[in-house]
Amino acid sequence: MTGSASSPTILAPREIKLHLLGLVLFVGLLGLWYWLSTGARAVPTLIEMLQDDDPSTRIVAAEQLGQVGPAARAAIPRLLAQATEDGNQHANTTAAAALKSIDLTSARQVMTHFMPRLQDQDAQQRRTACAVLGSLGPVAKPAVPALLAAGHDPDELVRRNALMALASIGIPSPPIVAALLEGLRDSSSLVRQTAVTQFAFTVPLTQPVVTAVTPLLNDPNRSIATLARSALDKARPDDATQLESLGLMVQHSAARDYALHQLAQLGPAAGDALLPVLPLLQDDRPLIRYLAAEAIGAMGVSATQALQPLRLRREDPDPVVREAVAEAIAGIEAAMAPAESSGKAARP
Amino acid sequence: MIATTPETSLRLRVLTRLGFWGAVIGGLLLPWGIMLAVEVVVHQVPFARAWRSFTLHLFAPGYNFFLIGLLTAAPFVVLAVLILLHLGAAPVQDPLIARRRTLGLAGAGLGMLVLAGWTHLEVLLHPDAQGALAYLYLPVILLASMPIGYGLGRAIARILLPRPPA
Repeated sequence: MTGSASSPTILAPREIKLHLLGLVLFVGLLGLWYWLSTGARAVPTLIEMLQDDDPSTRIVAAEQLGQVGPAARAAIPRLLAQATEDGNQHANTTAAAALKSIDLTSARQVMTHFMPRLQDQDAQQRRTACAVLGSLGPVAKPAVPALLAAGHDPDELVRRNALMALASIGIPSPPIVAALLEGLRDSSSLVRQTAVTQFAFTVPLTQPVVTAVTPLLNDPNRSIATLARSALDKARPDDATQLESLGLMVQHSAARDYALHQLAQLGPAAGDALLPVLPLLQDDRPLIRYLAAEAIGAMGVSATQALQPLRLRREDPDPVVREAVAEAIAGIEAAMAPAESSGKAARP
Repeated sequence: MIATTPETSLRLRVLTRLGFWGAVIGGLLLPWGIMLAVEVVVHQVPFARAWRSFTLHLFAPGYNFFLIGLLTAAPFVVLAVLILLHLGAAPVQDPLIARRRTLGLAGAGLGMLVLAGWTHLEVLLHPDAQGALAYLYLPVILLASMPIGYGLGRAIARILLPRPPA
């Protein structure tokens, strides 16, 4: 074949080279397969999968479309239908979560569809509404008042889902933390466990939370006590190292949305992380621009130097981002006003 | 030195080629095969459904079976290159060298196969939140086990294939 028969070695050098070349080609083919099956190239196939009879196929397709991000715009109509009309709750939540990464306006449409269902007669409808609103994350901020009301629902699963949704939305932080603190005293152990879980894994800790969670270390329910321990062992927002690591995460695309969401929940305490957040007002992804505006707005007076960059984003192509930018400007200016007036009053 | 017959030489050549491609393809297919087998045999899922679910999760975020296959295959590709360069470059005129090298490489390959197979089965049969970390450590563990397996294979070869007295 390659002269091996006359070679002094088992394989002739030429054949060894050919095999190595074959290996390189094989690896190249695998790379091509991966490239064709991921990113924007996979969108047409994934849209077809959204119409599959099997819910697990629709769920996986929605998850993958969410990963693709704004390049999966062609999937918006199908995802909207899945989020609002599919009979499977997991299919609803994954489609809603995908829309959040693709198009904020569509995600808000899902929110508008489910908000009235929080008052539905059927408890299952209310539970699903909470779950879907939670899957939209911070984009569902306008649904917070309705979810706070759902936190007092007579059905314990609705209350549990409402608390989970509130923790997932996370902003504005004060009323959400207050609702979760109330959840720690709920008559249902399921709701109490859900509330403490959010402090252990999702919501940043504040001093009132530490005070409220500490007695739970002696809770007769062992899982609640363990979760309380996890929450109290978690890094505090006033920990400079924690803030520094969030600032670093903001600069890495893999954890950017998580870090921005955490900073938005920390409020003025996150002021030191302003500089790495500012360039994200120009990010390609609307969700990142939205979260950046929310995080900066929550910093209040410590984000004064962000006013100019925020004003430049007043004409952002995404209406939801524009709204968040306007709110952030108004919030910072409002925070500056008392600071300025107290400064004037102090002057002789 | 033992003289080589053309038949022995041909057999060694075929063995080298098979070893090379077997390590590359086998390393890639091993985790996927185990995933399918666990679904069908342990979870009693019909093959067609297991296959569909497998292809669905091949590139799915949070599952990425494709990446798991690549991570497991990487050390086997190193083994394949070793087979090619170490066994393929053995002198034809002294088949004892080639046979000893074959046993050494077979020891390395077998050890890696058992370790990779056991790890994948453990992760799938006893799933837990940190289980997927095993997929990240596995390539390093397999690479570390390669010289150990090779050494064992060579030691066995010294016992089974002693060099005849001159």
